[in-house]
Amino acid sequence: MLSFVLRRLLSSIPVLILVSLMTFALIWLVPGDPASVFLDASATPEQIENLRRQLGLDQPIWSQMLSWYERVLSGDLGQSILLRRSVADAILERLPITLSLAALALFFAVLFGILLGSLAAVNHQRWGDQSIMAIALLGLSIPDFWLGLVLIVVFAVQLGWLPSGGYVPITEDFVGWARSMALPAFTLTVTQIGFIARMTRSAMLDVLRQDYVRTADAKGLSHSFVVLRHALPNALVPILTVTGVIAGGLLGGAVVVEQVFFLPGLGRLIIGAILSRDFPVIQGGLLMLAVIYLVINLIVDLLYALIDPRVRYG
Amino acid sequence: MNARILQLALVGGLAASGLAVTANAQQGGDVVIAQTQAPPSLDAHVTSAQAARNVNLHIYETLFARDENAVPVPDLAESLEISEDGLTYVFQLREGVNFHDGTVMDAEDVVASLERYREIGASSTLLSAIDSIEATGDHEVTVTLSEVQSTFLDNLSSPRAPIAIYTAEQAALGANEVDYIGTGPFRFVEYQPDSFVRLERFDDYSVNPNYSERDGLAGAKEVSIDSVTFLFMPEAGSRVAALESGEAHVVETVDGPSAGRLAENDAYTVHNVLPFAFQVIKFNHAQAPTNDPEFRRAVMAALDMEEIMAISRPDIYQIDGGWLFPNSPFYNDAALDQYNVADLDAAREHLANSSYDGETLTFIVDNGRPNVDTATVVQQRLAQIGVDVELSVADWPTVSQIGFTPDGWHFWAHGFGIEPFEGPASVIAPWVDGVSMQADDPEINRLYQELTTAMDPDDRAAIFAEFQQHMYDDAVAIKAGNYGLFQVSADELENFVPYRIPRMWGVQLNQ
Amino acid sequence: MADGRLNAVEGLAPHANRLRTLLVRLVANRSIALGGGLVAIITLLAVFAPLVAPYDPLESNFRARLLPPSAEHWFGTDHFGRDVLSRVIYGGRLSLEIGFLVVLATGIFGTLIGGCAGYFRALDNPVMRLMDAWMAFPAILLAIAVSATLGASVTNVVIALSLATTPHTARIVRASVLVVREMEYVEAARALGARDMRILFVHVLLNSIAPLIVRLTYVFAIAILAEAVLSYIGVGPPPPAPSFGNIIANGRDFMVEAPWVTIFPGVAIFVVVLGLNLLGDGLRDVLDPRMRVER
Repeated sequence: MLSFVLRRLLSSIPVLILVSLMTFALIWLVPGDPASVFLDASATPEQIENLRRQLGLDQPIWSQMLSWYERVLSGDLGQSILLRRSVADAILERLPITLSLAALALFFAVLFGILLGSLAAVNHQRWGDQSIMAIALLGLSIPDFWLGLVLIVVFAVQLGWLPSGGYVPITEDFVGWARSMALPAFTLTVTQIGFIARMTRSAMLDVLRQDYVRTADAKGLSHSFVVLRHALPNALVPILTVTGVIAGGLLGGAVVVEQVFFLPGLGRLIIGAILSRDFPVIQGGLLMLAVIYLVINLIVDLLYALIDPRVRYG
Repeated sequence: MNARILQLALVGGLAASGLAVTANAQQGGDVVIAQTQAPPSLDAHVTSAQAARNVNLHIYETLFARDENAVPVPDLAESLEISEDGLTYVFQLREGVNFHDGTVMDAEDVVASLERYREIGASSTLLSAIDSIEATGDHEVTVTLSEVQSTFLDNLSSPRAPIAIYTAEQAALGANEVDYIGTGPFRFVEYQPDSFVRLERFDDYSVNPNYSERDGLAGAKEVSIDSVTFLFMPEAGSRVAALESGEAHVVETVDGPSAGRLAENDAYTVHNVLPFAFQVIKFNHAQAPTNDPEFRRAVMAALDMEEIMAISRPDIYQIDGGWLFPNSPFYNDAALDQYNVADLDAAREHLANSSYDGETLTFIVDNGRPNVDTATVVQQRLAQIGVDVELSVADWPTVSQIGFTPDGWHFWAHGFGIEPFEGPASVIAPWVDGVSMQADDPEINRLYQELTTAMDPDDRAAIFAEFQQHMYDDAVAIKAGNYGLFQVSADELENFVPYRIPRMWGVQLNQ
Repeated sequence: MADGRLNAVEGLAPHANRLRTLLVRLVANRSIALGGGLVAIITLLAVFAPLVAPYDPLESNFRARLLPPSAEHWFGTDHFGRDVLSRVIYGGRLSLEIGFLVVLATGIFGTLIGGCAGYFRALDNPVMRLMDAWMAFPAILLAIAVSATLGASVTNVVIALSLATTPHTARIVRASVLVVREMEYVEAARALGARDMRILFVHVLLNSIAPLIVRLTYVFAIAILAEAVLSYIGVGPPPPAPSFGNIIANGRDFMVEAPWVTIFPGVAIFVVVLGLNLLGDGLRDVLDPRMRVER
């Protein structure tokens, strides 16, 4: 087990190196530089050049690259050009917002996804099944940012029930936090619920057809007991697989939803950095997202072992 | 009985509010301002972005500042003496002015700040006429110019990238490395980039004793609120929602329909800040066919300015071709018969005489909606006279990099706000040495040189009229019109008067 | 087709009967009928836009700005005074074109990369590690970065989205190639002296095409959604040509007062994507019943 984790961690190193190389390629291609963000439209090229020098941006890309790797190896992601602070600080400050948004959405998507999927499976080929699957498909087909915009207009502007955006830290005010997260988390949940509901349904259908479930049914045990005790646990492995897949997708979704509700999360940080050419933040932020992605995959693999004893870490 | 209690309460309430006004007892409160963008930096010297100005001019002050009519008046300076030859400026500084770190401003701080600005200031050309800066006393600074410059005080008081006075200690630091310490009525507390900036009232603020009230960016800056928070909200709908839910007290800009709706609501005041800026369409004079005045005249003749302004800046615009704001003392109507002719036949005639040969032209524009809309309207209009234009939309860093090179573009549209506010020299400056059109225009260079050395206001007015005539005769660039902002304040916020920035001194918050 | 126990002869022979039963099952599938129908309607509207659309989608009239839906303008007008219905109909052209081009590019590159990785053992590990790294970026951020970098144009949007959808597709192709590669008829072809490239293209890829088709249907849906997101961020296809995404992006400043500008193109996206998802589900059921919902 431990050696499995170690091997997985080792094999993620080349992935991270590739990610950082790809980011450098991106930066190398990008026209424009952060200096222009400081200035208005009548700034002269000399003024921009002057500021570039002041901000230390006149170094060639390879020398920036070398010094970046040097620093990263000593655990330093560098200084942001615009935020006037270390990249690591900026990321760590935003990370909880993105992660809590994704975690909330994941929690509700899994909860309701499994619930709806199981209901559908149990009512297989009846109207309940079909309407649940229709709803799941609707959720999968809605553009997330558009849903967010519509929710803002309805719940924030028309009804005034919830804030249209912004973030209240949970440590400051729990109710405020819940209110600020309600619409973003709902938006993200709706677009992800369908994956889990569909997976749960098909996995449950597989299991419900198995002999031992039929036997249990035949023994006269209540059907809901059979479903909960026997069918669901056995359907968990494929459900977990799809959860792992959407956990990665959720990060991308969170990026967009943060933008709509201007939650100051990692996605907004990185998009802002892309649009203002804050290269160290782009570098660090993308690297961080890659790390999260890899960690999620590792956790999913480890959970397989807990749920499905057949999986061996050879 | 209920009615009586209510009546009593009403009387009590009236009395209380009457008292409050007379005794100015409405102290405290956190005012929240929703603005569109986040400031790129709170180091005032290095950024000329509007978003930064809004915040920075609360933290920092300058030697001279613009008054309500944009005229330079002393702020941190007590007085000024200018030598006969116009080359030596001796500033007496106000004494006992506190910095936020507890130190007291003296001549050394001023010298260090001006020197820093000359070195790294975002608009360091503002001080390019300076030959030397010396502390000639504890509170006396002598600035010597290398040549006469009629606009020197205009420059010194420019809010564009303010020539803020820092402590000598901070002024020794590099770009974007300073602690945010100024002499302003608010002191810096917290900056969450792309989320908010929070400032607190500076209790040891030295109110300028030479004024009795608020006056532009100068005057007596009395603060009665506790703090101000600038929220950055790019979504128009979100800013309005923040206002209506009580999260924000001031919104920097809302769309026209929302402004109309809010104006009918007693709880809000809608301020029409008009004119706020020009909508400008620039040509690349280094490329064919936009290097050909006949082609540019064809474009100018074709455009329907009403259409451009109504679509890109809906509900709050002025159809005005002057290259200054109408309330400016130098405003004139030279060549305005050539503005907004919207005559497609005349345009076709110019086009036939031009070097245009059916090629596809590139219109670069940043991805802000008004500028994209302007480009779209121009493109559609030019299609009617047979000019093929393609839009190239990118973000600001990319567009501004391309737009200052001679290749890759023919048209470029954006707003021009702070230049007309600053005055005639600032309006001409972007066209000097061909910076904004990528090819030298000797006529403009000459006019700029004359304007900045002419000390007589009448001469300057005549020179500026000549510049405006030239802009139209040669169609150097096109001004589509003036646009404004709908600023909205909640009525809990009293005495709010819009200016170039939403000033938070002299206002009270009823809670 | 997806049966793992095909023998060499069957795998090489044309099988008209099987094709016919397949067609029958395709036509009989309700998801395919419904999804295909929705996609077909939108596609026909887009193709015949000049005949269907009541107005010129580019013709502006600022005196008729932001009119609510009426008999004259079913979907209202936008802030240029342009007819939103006509813009949505024409917008389908650009959105579908982008979706189609992304499918094409992803299909080609996903197949090449996945096919080579699956077939040539030496390539497998390095190529798939590269795909892993690629997938470790959230796809939408990658697309935003690429589109912001290269500038907003239809070509760049297609490049950005293809870059974002290729690795997953390559992975799916690789997985099915791995299965097919070991099958007897491929072994047989190899024994008969067929060259690697021929085996790869004729046998392996043709036999792993079912999951690819299903995946590409979903890619189409993803591309249409992602185009809208890119437009929303401000890096989508530039005006004046409408796409579903840039109509929404254009309307969002007027979201509160003129919600119709934003709502109708959003519904159009929803309908197309729903149709594509239904189509994908149906195709999966018929072509490859064992495939999971993973997309």
